[in-house]
This record gives sequence, structure tokens and C-alpha cells, in this order.
Amino acid sequence: MKVGSNLEKILTAGYFAATGELGPPKNADPEVIRRKAEILKGHVDAVNITDNQTAVVRMSSISVGIMLLNMGIEPTIQMTCRDRNRIAIQSDLLGAAAFGIKNLLCLSGDHQRFGNHPMAKNVFDLDSMGLLRMVRDMRDAKKFQCGEEIKGPAPCFFIGAAANPFADPFEFRPYRLAKKVAAGADFVQTQIVFNVPKFREYMQRVGDLGLLDKVYILAGVSPIRTAGAAKYMATQVPGMDVPEEYVRRMEDAVKGIPKEDKAARKAAWEEEGIRICVEIIQRVREIPGVAGVHIMAIEWEEAVPEIVKRAGLLPRPQV
Amino acid sequence: MTEFEPQILAFACHYCAYAAADLAGSMRLQYPPNVKVVHVPCSGRVDIIHILRAFERGVDGVFVAG
Amino acid sequence: MIVAEQKSLDEIKTMLAPYQKVLIVGCGTCVTVCFAGGEKEVAILASALRMATGLEGNPKQIMEATVQRQCEYEYNEAIADKLKEVDVVLSLACGIGVQTMNEQFPEMLTLPGLNTTFLGQPTEQGVWVERCQACGNCVLATTGGICPIARCSKSLLNGPCGGSQGGKCEIDPDVPCAWQQIYDRMKALGRLEALLEVAEAKDWRTSRDGGPRKIVREDLRLEK
Repeated sequence: MKVGSNLEKILTAGYFAATGELGPPKNADPEVIRRKAEILKGHVDAVNITDNQTAVVRMSSISVGIMLLNMGIEPTIQMTCRDRNRIAIQSDLLGAAAFGIKNLLCLSGDHQRFGNHPMAKNVFDLDSMGLLRMVRDMRDAKKFQCGEEIKGPAPCFFIGAAANPFADPFEFRPYRLAKKVAAGADFVQTQIVFNVPKFREYMQRVGDLGLLDKVYILAGVSPIRTAGAAKYMATQVPGMDVPEEYVRRMEDAVKGIPKEDKAARKAAWEEEGIRICVEIIQRVREIPGVAGVHIMAIEWEEAVPEIVKRAGLLPRPQV
Repeated sequence: MTEFEPQILAFACHYCAYAAADLAGSMRLQYPPNVKVVHVPCSGRVDIIHILRAFERGVDGVFVAG
Repeated sequence: MIVAEQKSLDEIKTMLAPYQKVLIVGCGTCVTVCFAGGEKEVAILASALRMATGLEGNPKQIMEATVQRQCEYEYNEAIADKLKEVDVVLSLACGIGVQTMNEQFPEMLTLPGLNTTFLGQPTEQGVWVERCQACGNCVLATTGGICPIARCSKSLLNGPCGGSQGGKCEIDPDVPCAWQQIYDRMKALGRLEALLEVAEAKDWRTSRDGGPRKIVREDLRLEK
């Protein structure tokens, strides 16, 4: 046990983990966070809080993390390399640790091109690999990135990394994961898995590299909300792989429901989206080395309790 | 009020357009005196700067023929 | 080479508004070969400005000159006399040329007519792409001769990120993923194992982040 966070305890005890995700608001309203967090509470082992995802300005990940701590929910803060240099990142992490935050997901960060401030100067002082190594050294070697000793309590995080098994070049992806593990990742949350056979192949290769004993891999899943969303993810989002089968199932879900009956169509889509998500959870759970799922239902947090219930993941273990 | 008569500068290629203008001359065909012909070895020789200088010096239109 | 683009005629006109006699000075090196500020571009801009200001009823006197390399005093000396006849200089050199002129002729203001864009390469007729960021500590030996600092949108040292698909960068389908290119090149060279090591965080002190840079070669200096 490196840190003793709830997520780490669940994983080291061998339970199948379930984590959720919360996207902070584009304003200073704490109520939105309380409402979303309340929905997730008790249904997941930890909640990721995104760091200005898609480069859109939102309430800071660490401050929302502190709010969650106060609600008795374990946060996993996210930190990208896009907006902060190594000085700012380390400073923020000292603060996060001081508040009792224990899980940290290290990311390069989406480029600001598609965010709401495309005119911003980006940083990328470190990349995700450099960030992982830095936080690991802060924890294990009690050193700042420059090599200087951290006198007094060092920040201790259960360190997460992201992996996209569906990005190119496919054959290099397991090796890149190995680099992240070498750099310090304790756990990994993957890009949303829809193409299960391809993910299985990826996990096989990850296993062949001997990584399964060294890192906990949580498969990313997400409920699709409409046929349009399925199609969009299938065709427009770089690094996403949505098989045609799911696009068709979402389209078929509203067959026979008149277009004017929006409520019925929405209900049918949501039901099918949740059903697909639960199926995927059950299928990835069978893959050797999958230690849990990371359920991303941003702006649809209500789906999470239903998904974990149907996937047979309740009640969450108390460790 | 006199009718507007534009001054036109024509860049004519030695091998076609200028040859045509030459032939027109031999055939005693008339063309308006407000077209001035500049003989160029090839219309590809005509550069932006030649056109701009023509306008600077007061022509109303430039004709590149080749 | 240094690649630049001319500023819009409107912006140039606004800059020149307070002045009557203008000397446009081109440069015969990088900006000539990228068709932004050589002798020809000087002539075209001068002509356009004469006409534009003439049409507006206040024709400016526009003079033209081009030096071989505007970033060196020795070449600029050739136009020192012409400066006496004008109110302002509009430089069609890169930002280095503009600053050299201002430093060399402090009594005369030299304005920039170009936007200096990047250090790059012409990949085909009419197309230039960025190739180097002058980071001051070249990594090309480890990346198969393809620069991730200049060519990866996030300057990653351990790419490709999760946004690489079909050889393209997530920011734009027209932008190649530099890390896919690096991967392909290293594979072709039989050197993929070099990509398995985690590349350390870069020391940016050699880059602009360390402050304005300077090289002093004692072996070349005339006075010590």
C-alpha cells in the first residue's frame, strides 16, 4: 500500500473497482457539484474530476476535489500539462495533498485548439510521462522535479495515467503503457471502450509485456445517450472506436416511436445506452487484467447508479 | 460629356497574340487607338509588377494575350 | 530558413499613416526565397502603396531598396544615404532585420512589414512548414530526425498521445502526427527499441524560456 486511498485499497484487496467522473461547472456554483456528487456517492469508489476538459475553462479540479472530500466522497483529481509548468503543478499538488486528496490522474491534456480559449498560450513544459515521473519522485524519493529534497511531508498520491488502446499506432500502444508504468503509474484509466475485441487484443499484448502485475487497469466505459451521439463518436472524435453495431442498436432503439414523441425517444435511447454500457462492463470484466471500470457519464451522472446496479457492482465494498 | 474611353495596355506574346496583331496590321484591319501593345517574348514573362506599373502610370485596364 | 508572411495592406497603411516619405527595404536572404520580402515583393508593395495612397488623395512618396542581408550592419550600410531622404523605413525583412535596422540607424524608425512566422522548409512550391523551434538542445538524434518539439502540437517527448489517428493530429486532419512519423521512421531504421525508454523532462533553459539567448565565440572575436 503506497498511499492508502480508498481506490488503492479496493484494488489491492482484489475487488473489481468502479470509478466515476464529474465535470466541474463553467461557473462558480458549488450547488451543481453537490448535486452531481450526491448522485455518485456510494456508487463508485472514487470520482475523477476533470481538469478543464477539452480546454474549456471550468472550476478547478483541486477545488472541486476538496468539496468532494468534505462530502465524504473520494476524489481523483486530474492534472494536465497544458496549462501549468512544473512549478505550478508541484505547487498545486502540495496544496491538494495538504487537503487530503490522494488520487491523481496525470494527463498531457487536450490541445486548446478546440476549447473556448484557442488564443491561449499553452505550456507543455512536461508531457504526461514527465508528470508521472515527477509525482512519483515527489512521493517515493521526496524530491522536487529539480532534485531538491522535500523537507517535511511530501505529497503522496496514488498515481494514475490514461491510455488509449484505440489510437494509432495500435502496436505501439502497449509499449507506451509500459513507459507510463515505468514512469510511475499505479493505475490506468483507458479511453472509452466500445470495441471490446480490439481492447481484448490490447490487454493480451499488455499482459505479454508483463504489465498486469505492475499496474491496475480500469477500462473506460460510457453510456451513449442518443443515436446522434453514437454516430458522432464513431466518426468525429479522434482516437474513438465505436463499432457500427452500437450505432445501429441506438438507431433501432427508437424504431416505431414517432419523432414528435421526444420523451419516449429519449427514454428508449437512454435505456439502450445504459444496456450497451452494462454489456460492455460485463464483457471487459472477463478480460484478464481488467481491474475495474471507469464510468464516464459527464452531464448524465444519473445513469451511473443504474449502470453499477445492473452490472452487479453494488454494494461497493467497504475497505 | 465625352464618353469614357479606357486606356488599355496589352501584353502580347511574340508567338501568338503579337503575331496576330501583326497580321491584323498587314491586313489593314483597324483597332482602336486606345489599346497600346507591348511585345513580350512570352506571356509568362508578364509579372505582377508590370501590371501594377501599368496601372500606376494611368492605364485603365491591362490585357494579357498569349 | 526563416519563413515570413507580409502583413495586410490595411495594417501597413495604418502603420504608415503618419509618414509621407517611406523607404521600403527588402532583404535578399530568407524572405526572398519565401517570397515575402525580396526585391520583387518590395516593388509590388511600393506600387500598391503608391496607388492606394494616391486613390485616397494623399499620395505618399515610396522609395525602394533591397539589401542582401538585413540582419548585418555591413549590408545595411549600402542604404544609409537613402535614409536621409525619408520619414520612416518599412522593412520587409524578418524581425531580426527590423531590429538590426532600428539599432543601426537609431535616428530613423524602422517598421515591420512582415510577420516572421517560423523556421521551416519549403516542402513543395508555395508550401512552407515549420521544422525547428530553436530549443537550443537538439533531440533529433533520438527521434529519427523528426522534431517533436516543433512538429507535435503538444511538443511531447513521449508520444504519440491518444489523439493520434490515421497518421493525423487531433488538432487538425491536415496536420500530420509527428509521433506517428517518428514511429514509422524509427521502425524503418530498425531502431524502435529507442522509443521504449522514457524521455526525460526537457531542460528548457537552452530555449527562449531561459531568457534571451546569446552565443559568444571567443575564438572568433577581434577584441577581447
